[in-house]
Formats: sequence, C-alpha cells, structure tokens
Amino acid sequence: MHEIIEVGLTVNGRPHELRIEPRETLGEVLRDRLALTGLKVSCDSQVCGACTVLVDGLAVSACTYLAVDADGRSVRTVEGLAVDGRLTPLQQAFIDHAAFQCAFCTSGMLMTATALLEENPAPTREEVVTGLEGNLCRCTGYAPIVDAVLAAAAATAEATA
Amino acid sequence: MKRVIERPTPPSPISVSVPRRDGIAKVTGSAQFAVDVVVPGMAHAKILRSPYAHARIRSIDVTAARAHPGVIAVVTADDLPDVILRYGHALADHPMIATGKVRFAGEPIVGVVAEDAATADEALRLIELDMEPLPAVTTVEAALADDAPVIHEEAAEQRPHRGFEEDISKTAANVCSHSRQHYGDVDAGFAAAALVIEGEFRYPMCYAYAMEPYTTVASWNQGQLTVWSSAQHPYMVRDDLARCFGLPLSSVRVVVPYVGGGYGSKSYTKIEPLTAALALRAGRPVRLALVADEAILTTRGDSARVRVKSAFDAEGHLLARKAEVLLNTGAYAENSPLVARKAANRLSGPYRIPAVDVTCDAVYTNTAPASSFRGFGAPQVVLAGESQMDEAAERLGLDPLEIRRRNVLKPGERPWPKVRGIDADLGADMELAAIELDWDAPAEPGRGKAICISASDAGSEPVTTAVLRVHADGSATVMCGSTEMGQGSNTVLAQIGAGEMGIPLERVHLNQSDTGMVSYDRSTGASRTTTLMGLAIRDAARDVKAQLVGWAQDAIAKDGAEVVEEHEGVRVGGTFHDWGAVVRAWFAGAGGECIGRGYVRKAGATEAMPPFWEVGCVGVDLTVDEQTGRIQIHKLVTIGDVGCAINPQLAEAQDVGAAIMGLGMATREELVYTADGNLLNGNLFDYRVPRASDIPPLATVLVERGDGVGVYGAKGGGEGALNPVAAAIANAVFRATGARLRQAPFTPERVWRALQERDAAAS
Amino acid sequence: MIPRFSYSRPRSLGDAFHAHAATDGEGAYVVGGTELLQVMKMGLAQFRTLIDLKGIAELHGIEVLADGTLRIGACTTHRQIERSPIVAASLPGLAELELHLANVRVRNQGTIGGNLAFAEPHSDPATFLLACDARVELASPAGRRTVAIDEFVLGPLYTSREPEEILTAVLVPPAGKGGGRGYAKAKFFERPAVAVGVALTVVDRVVVSARVSLGSITEVPMLVPAAAAGLVGAAADPASLAAAARIAAASAFADLDAVDDLNGAADYKRHLAGVLIQQAALAALTEATPHA
Repeated sequence: MHEIIEVGLTVNGRPHELRIEPRETLGEVLRDRLALTGLKVSCDSQVCGACTVLVDGLAVSACTYLAVDADGRSVRTVEGLAVDGRLTPLQQAFIDHAAFQCAFCTSGMLMTATALLEENPAPTREEVVTGLEGNLCRCTGYAPIVDAVLAAAAATAEATA
Repeated sequence: MKRVIERPTPPSPISVSVPRRDGIAKVTGSAQFAVDVVVPGMAHAKILRSPYAHARIRSIDVTAARAHPGVIAVVTADDLPDVILRYGHALADHPMIATGKVRFAGEPIVGVVAEDAATADEALRLIELDMEPLPAVTTVEAALADDAPVIHEEAAEQRPHRGFEEDISKTAANVCSHSRQHYGDVDAGFAAAALVIEGEFRYPMCYAYAMEPYTTVASWNQGQLTVWSSAQHPYMVRDDLARCFGLPLSSVRVVVPYVGGGYGSKSYTKIEPLTAALALRAGRPVRLALVADEAILTTRGDSARVRVKSAFDAEGHLLARKAEVLLNTGAYAENSPLVARKAANRLSGPYRIPAVDVTCDAVYTNTAPASSFRGFGAPQVVLAGESQMDEAAERLGLDPLEIRRRNVLKPGERPWPKVRGIDADLGADMELAAIELDWDAPAEPGRGKAICISASDAGSEPVTTAVLRVHADGSATVMCGSTEMGQGSNTVLAQIGAGEMGIPLERVHLNQSDTGMVSYDRSTGASRTTTLMGLAIRDAARDVKAQLVGWAQDAIAKDGAEVVEEHEGVRVGGTFHDWGAVVRAWFAGAGGECIGRGYVRKAGATEAMPPFWEVGCVGVDLTVDEQTGRIQIHKLVTIGDVGCAINPQLAEAQDVGAAIMGLGMATREELVYTADGNLLNGNLFDYRVPRASDIPPLATVLVERGDGVGVYGAKGGGEGALNPVAAAIANAVFRATGARLRQAPFTPERVWRALQERDAAAS
Repeated sequence: MIPRFSYSRPRSLGDAFHAHAATDGEGAYVVGGTELLQVMKMGLAQFRTLIDLKGIAELHGIEVLADGTLRIGACTTHRQIERSPIVAASLPGLAELELHLANVRVRNQGTIGGNLAFAEPHSDPATFLLACDARVELASPAGRRTVAIDEFVLGPLYTSREPEEILTAVLVPPAGKGGGRGYAKAKFFERPAVAVGVALTVVDRVVVSARVSLGSITEVPMLVPAAAAGLVGAAADPASLAAAARIAAASAFADLDAVDDLNGAADYKRHLAGVLIQQAALAALTEATPHA
C-alpha cells in the first residue's frame, strides 16, 4: 500500500478532511478529489501560472505545490471568486475587456490578479504588468488583461468610495 | 482601437462588440476542456517516448510494466495487428506508435494504461528498450546531403485531404514534398533588371504553445468509437480514425469541448488514434493528457531557409523573383506539404511581380514533426520578401513606403494567373499605418520605423455546412462543426445567426464541434470560420426562412392572403407572426421546429480560389540598445483589413494576439536541436514566449471596406497581423542602426553580432 | 508527475536528523520544493523519503544580530525577504533581487535556504550573497558550522553540505560605513544569463575596497578579484566608477571560462558581464553614498 496522510484544508471556505498520498500535488487534489477543475495544468513547471491558486492569500503553482503543504491552510480557487453567481469586479472586467480567448490561462490569471489587488487595491499599470509577469497567455497579447485588472481596481474603488 | 468603415450597416447584432458568450463559463472556471472530461470507468495513459532521434527498435521488454499493480494494458505496435497504424491526412506516413524504428526523439514507443496516471508513470520506468541508434539529421542541409540517412524507406500513401490539387511530388529521398510557384518569364525579368537583390534568410523552428497540452479521451462501445479531444478539426480527425480502425464515418464520433488554444497546432490528427488504440486494448475508456514537454514534441512550426533574389527596374518596380525555400518539416509530413505549397505562393507576396519561380521543399529531418502554425508558411517567407523591398529601396534611394506603393496590388488585381483577385486595398492600409507611425516626421537618430505587408491565399477549401433550427418559441439553435478555440467563433457565429434571423442574440444558441451531432465543416483554421461558416449559417437562415414563408402560406394564410417576409418573421394580412408562431401554426400545436440547411462549396461566390485573401499590414517604431543588442519597440501598429468586423472587439483581439505571437517569434522564440537530435529547450523554462512586460504600446486599426466574400463583406483575420512582424522589426532595426538582420529570432545576441559586423564593415 | 515518496514533518532539528538517519541515505530535506519537486517530476532525482523542514520554528525569521549581521532563517521565503522591512533597511539589494526572482508563485513558496542548498548555477541569491561575503550556517548532529558562500557552492547542484546537514540560516555581514552592495542581471529565459554582484566601500569619495562576483555565466558563481581590484581607487561618482568598471571588466573578464549555452555564446556573455558590472557598481555606489 502506498503511504497515506490525513490532511485538513479549507477550500473556498469549506473544510475538507482528506486522505491523500504525500506525492499528490494541490492541483491533483483540487481537480481529481474535489472536482474543482477550474485550475488548469499547462507547463507543469511553475512557469506559466495556469494552475495558480491562493494558499492563505498567497499565489502558488498548484502543479508543484504538495497538497500536504496546504494542511491546516485556506485555499482559494477560481470557483470561489463569484458568490451566489455574482461575478467579482475582476471577473466582470475580464469579460468586458475580452481579457481571455481560449481561457486556459484565465483561472490562474484571475487568482494572481485577485491576490495582487487584495495587496495593492490601486496599482499602477506598471505594477499590474510586473504582477502578471509570471502568468503566461498565448492568445490575448496581455494588453486587455492589464486593462481589465486596472478597470477592476477602478470599479472597486468607485464602489467603495 | 480605430475603425475605418466604408461599407453598408448590417443588421444588429452584427458589427456590435457583444460580450463573449463563453465569458461567464470561462471566468468562473466552469468551461469544460478535454482534460475535464470524465467518462465512467476511465483509465489513464502515459507514453514512453524515444530517447533517440533515429534508431531501430531491437526489442521492448514490458514484462515488469505489465506486472506492476494497477496497470491495465501495456501496448506496443506489435499489440495492434488489427489497426492501420500509419495515419496522415496528406501522406499516411505517421505511425501512431513506433513500428520498427523511431524517427525523432520523443516519438511514442509504448503506451501504458493504468488505474491512475501516477501508476502509469511508474510502469513506464519499468520498461526496457533495446535500441540501435542510427545516424540522425536535424537540419535541411544535413538531410539533403548525398550521404544522408534515409528517414522514410517506404513510400507513404497519398491521402485526399492534402489541400491542393496536384499530387505530392518527392524530388529526393528526404524530401517530403516539393512545391513550385512558377509564372512569367523569370530570366527575362532578371535580364532587364537595373537592380538585383539577393540574400538568404532564416526563420526559426517555433512552438505554438497552446497552453492546453494535447488531450484525448477515447471510449469504445459496441464497435462505435467516441473521442473527446483538443482538436481544431474534428471532422478531419474522424476521417483518420475511421481509416485506422476500419470503421464507417458514422461509427466515429469526435467531440471537441472548449479548446485551450490552437493557432494551427491542433489542426488535423494528433494523439487521437493512439488513445483510441490504447482504449481498445485496455477494454476501458482511456484519457491521454500530455504535459507541455510532450506537446512540444508532438507538433511544431516549420523552420525555413529562404534563398531569394528579386529583380527591380530603376524606378523600383519588381520585375521578377526567384527563390528556393527549404522547410525543416521534421520526422512526419503532417500538414507540411500544404505549408510548403503556401510558402511558395506567399513569397510572391502582395506585389505585382510579372515573373516568379519559387520552389519550396518540405524536408524530412529527425526532429519533432512540423505542421500548421498560425501564418502558415507566410511568416517564414515574408521576412525574406519584405526585407528585400527595403534593401531595394535603400539601394535606389527610395522611401520604403514609396517602393511598396509602386508595387502593391490594387484591389481586384490577381497576384498570379487564375486566382481570385485580391479583395483588399493594401495600398490604403499602408497609408493608415503611416499615419499611426507619423511616418513623415523627421527621423530621430537611433530610431527606426518600418511598415511591412503580406497577402496570404487563405480560407482553405470551401467545404462547410450548417444547420439552423427554429424552435416553436421562436428561439433558434445553430449547429456547426466549427471549433471554439478562443477566437470567439461561439460568439461571432451566433451573432451572424441572430442577425440573419432577426432573433435576439440571447435566443440563439450555438452547438459546435461534435461529429455525431452537428453537420460537417472541413476545418477551423486558415482564418476561414467567420467567412465560410458565416456563409453557411446565412444560407441555412435563408433556407429556414424560405420554408417558414411557405409554412405561413400553408398554415396561416389559408384564405390566400399575401405572406410578406420581414426580418423577424412574416406579416400575413396585416398581422405580424414571428418565426415561432409560424412553426406552431404549421404543426397545429405547441411544438415542432423548422430546419434550415446551409451548404458552402466550390461554387458561386466561393468558386474562385482562394476563398479570400488574408492581408497583413504592420508597422513598428523602435530603438536598439547598442550595448546589449536589445530591441525596444515603442509602437506596434496593426491594420486589420477584415472586410466587416462581425464583433469588432474580438476582431481587434485577434490582431493583437497575432501580432504579439509574431513578436515572440521575431525576437525570442526558437526550438534548438543538438546535432544528434535532442531538443535543448523542450520546456517552458527555456522556450520563452512573450510575457506581460514584453508588450509594447499598441495601435490597432480595423478597416472594413465590405470587400470580402463573407457575410456583409467579411473575410478572415487573425493571422495577417503576425505575418509581417519579423520583417517590420528587421527593417526598422536597419533604419535605426544600419545593421541588417537575416535570421530570426532577433535575439539580443544576434542583434549585437549584427552591430559588430556593421562596425567591422565600416572600419 | 511527482513519483511516490514517504513524508515526514519534523518539528525540531533533532527530529529531522533522526528522520534523515532512518532513510539510509535515500531521504532528502525539502522546504518549498520549487526546485526539488521539479527535478523529481522530471525523473532527474528520486528520493524514498522527503523530510519537510518548514515546521521547524528556528529555521524561520529575519533578524539583525548585535554585530550588525543580517541573519535570515533558511526557511524564509523569497517573498518574505522581498517584503521584509529589516532586509530593506539592511540589505536593500537583496530585497530588490528577490522582487525579480522567478515569479511571484515561486517567491511565495521557495526559500532562500532551499535555493542555496540546491545550488542551481543560475541562482540569483548565490551570486549576490557571494559579493556580500555572506556565510551559511549548517547544523548536524555533530554541531554547527558556518561556511562562506564560495566554500559552500562547489559546483552545479553540488555543495559542501553533508547529506544529513541542514542549512539553518544565511548570515550577511553589514556593509559598514561607506559600504554598498549592488546586483545586476541579464535574463533571456526563466533564469539569468549573466549576473554580477558588486560590494564596495567608499572612504573620502574614493572606493577603497571592492568585491565582484559573477554568476550564471560560469558553472559556479565566482569572485573575480581582478575586476574588484579595478574598482579600487576609483572616484566615487557614477561616471568615474562606470569607467573604472568598464576598464576592469575588459581585462578581468577577457579570459573568463564562460559556457556557451542557450543563454548565449561565451563572448557575448563576457561582453554582457562588462555591461552589467557597471550597473551593479552604480547600484552599490548609490547605497554606499546615500546622500551624494
């Protein structure tokens, strides 16, 4: 038998107790055990960012992050962004700006940008570009993504003003 | 975005930037891709790949792998005597799994199916290969040498979907296909020339990096095969699967969920036959999901060596062009025979050249197979052709824009005999780019601008059908075989259906890409979908409307009242009935539907080939850091000459994406092989695609002159903005520095060396 | 996929040594795993057991010791260093370096200790810390020792750490009065192609001492004393220092045993090193003469 470890993690606000193998990545656990398939594995080497999820608010590559390292932590995925079907300003801005095409990168892009905006609610264009530097997109040429993140920041600022 | 509109206004919602219809699914993570497909009982496959570029397989020992707990099947070519192993839509030269020998490092040799992917992965490590390495060739020069090892000893069956009329012609042992574009008296042109420009240019071997790696799920049920796959052309995949497994087309169902990027790299058949074979032997549905490192080894773009000479008169008019193009096509033909055909055509360019003789050979080498990739032969040759235009301008003391003005094809002019006249005004497009670049402003030292253009015979073949169903509530379903791979076909085609039927967009639903459920479309590539599927949907709408008018006559205007067709329905004796009411009346109840059919073939408006020209016009303004060789682009201009932008926001998005992809290939991207055939940068660590910080300031213009063959004058886009990018950068670097770049990508190191050579020549 | 392994999560160094001893040499320590898990996935390394050190409290934390030495616990993530006010005040070049290391996800997960112990030849921290004359602290059942960076990183993926030893902290001496440290790199792919670290001390508007390190261009980050010597004596203004750096590089880097690889041919990378030493020296000068 393969070694099994019990872990407890909160995903999008819901606690889960899971029996997993140490080798399982967070991406495998989220996709295969919890059916949260929004995250996508592309490069499988922490370069592309398609599998980005937030662990205790910090972006990590779920493809190369052991699920055991999420034990006792809070994980957020793209499925946890919209509440009761209401999109976040960032999600809405992605639609408004056509900030995706094939969307294989989009879940990761949204999670990276979510963490970025939580840390820096009013970023400059340059800060957004730097913040998204580690997330690849092969379709859009990035410009609409950067526009969308800036628009989401502005929309949020307006809503809370 | 700027828009230049010189065409009539189409009915709403056509030419409106409605939000993408896949938007909510894609921002909430619920959009389903092939890797998200789960079939009951599904097992998981992993592939053992060849470590050698060229080798004979002496023996394969799978005993330990078969005995490994959790393993369901271990499959080699020997285990598939009942399957035709060699597939290919142009040449059936590609074994789904190695048969006797391997022709590139990374070629599949053994497939393992297990209960989970980790177990399959473990079992791979238990397989022992006994291989006899053979001499390998990785460059076109080595492959064409007299003593080169022969990569394919046996001739392969030519297949009907190669995309051109003539037979595939093979002129040497390692030539996969030979193409020639020849018209006019080339010798006379050179004899009359005041100036001949001659040179060699190289375009790199590139990887499309669709972020979704190739993924297929295959399931057999009572002799019927269902495949879910990340494929651009489900009907082409169906064709190969039917042939490999001896099935009628009707027994193969290929379903394509959302595709995570294609750019040509997912055109035609990839891992579907192998996955289906593994499922057959496993007796279980099987998922084969590649990782990016494997995807790089599955398909790449053809690299090119272009030797070209162009003859000009003293006023800069092109008189003749002669060229030899060699494409490094890798181990298997895939779609490269057509890439070669198109590369030969596309070097004639958007110019009036009285005499042309261009040959293009797709050359087999022991590298990963090359196939379609956005631009499709054009970027490979436009670098050469457009560089020579600037070289000639420099030599003749002409402005680079002026020499293009003197040669560019006028609307309707045929670039070569017996083709469709060009359905674009590239001359006017160039002037728009010049405005964006402030072309006539005095040149600043160290700064260079360039405008380059291209024309591609695009659209593939017009073999497209659509079904449009009007339901009893007046809503409609459009059923079509076009794939949604990010380009927005799901939105644009629904807009066309809604616009043609006068039905609100939110009441039109599109069903796509399921050969068991929707009707035939040849392919989703060559920028053809909006144009050709758009026409099919228009025709299906016309067909359904004609039927509904007849139904209204039968069922509503029983007393012989006049039925007047209106955009949203019919008026009978002064009373308006929407399409749903007509359906209900005809069936005399609450249900029923009316089915319209649209067929697009090589007839009528789409008889002349190509179906349309896809033109490109790109401008750049840049400086070069002479210390490091880094190019900094201050402005990148795209002119999207699309006839009619059905959805302007999405049309612009295609141009931006294409231009940035072109920028990556022009400045950074290149797959590098060792001489013995190992890929040095077969991963995203070392194969670097553009990032957010690489994006220069952009200026996009959409030009809509209604001059395409599609609905409201639409024609294809999405590749044109890529094709001239490398040439524009090379020409602008020359204007900035005096150094001429002839080998893409123009990495800082190559630019630095070109600057060194410039300095050495000057001293 | 990551191959199967068994896993332990010790809470103390003692428990970690025990866990390691139990693996018969087939175990490995892991912290963030950004490098280790990747090579395991690629089949380049295989370990029966991974011993996760993140639960050991004493391996965390950033502090300045009484003598001014900056002590960074081995399990400190790149991101924590990037955002640390202590690092920003005491070694700003490191905070800046971390901001541009890999990507934000790797910085959130990867650690300074893991980076140094893995000894990837293109490591940013190793090159810069070498110029800073930093040391690493190693613990084993036999006790503790500290080792200078250049005696620690011995080759590609190869260090002087014994298998059971744990890298516990990085120790960086203070720049001292008139001291500054700078770093510059050229990067074409995921990792740097050429990197240069410069530490210098300015007294009376003249550079009186200097250390120059080079990374990524050779198989191991290395000090280049000849280049450093060329900076000494330079007037502490940007133009003079850049000129001195340019001249120093021209001779000191000429015979450098640079590797030809995907990042570029050796001659180009030597040339780039000559460009980067100027940038790194100017960054160091800015720190050394904050009010200039």
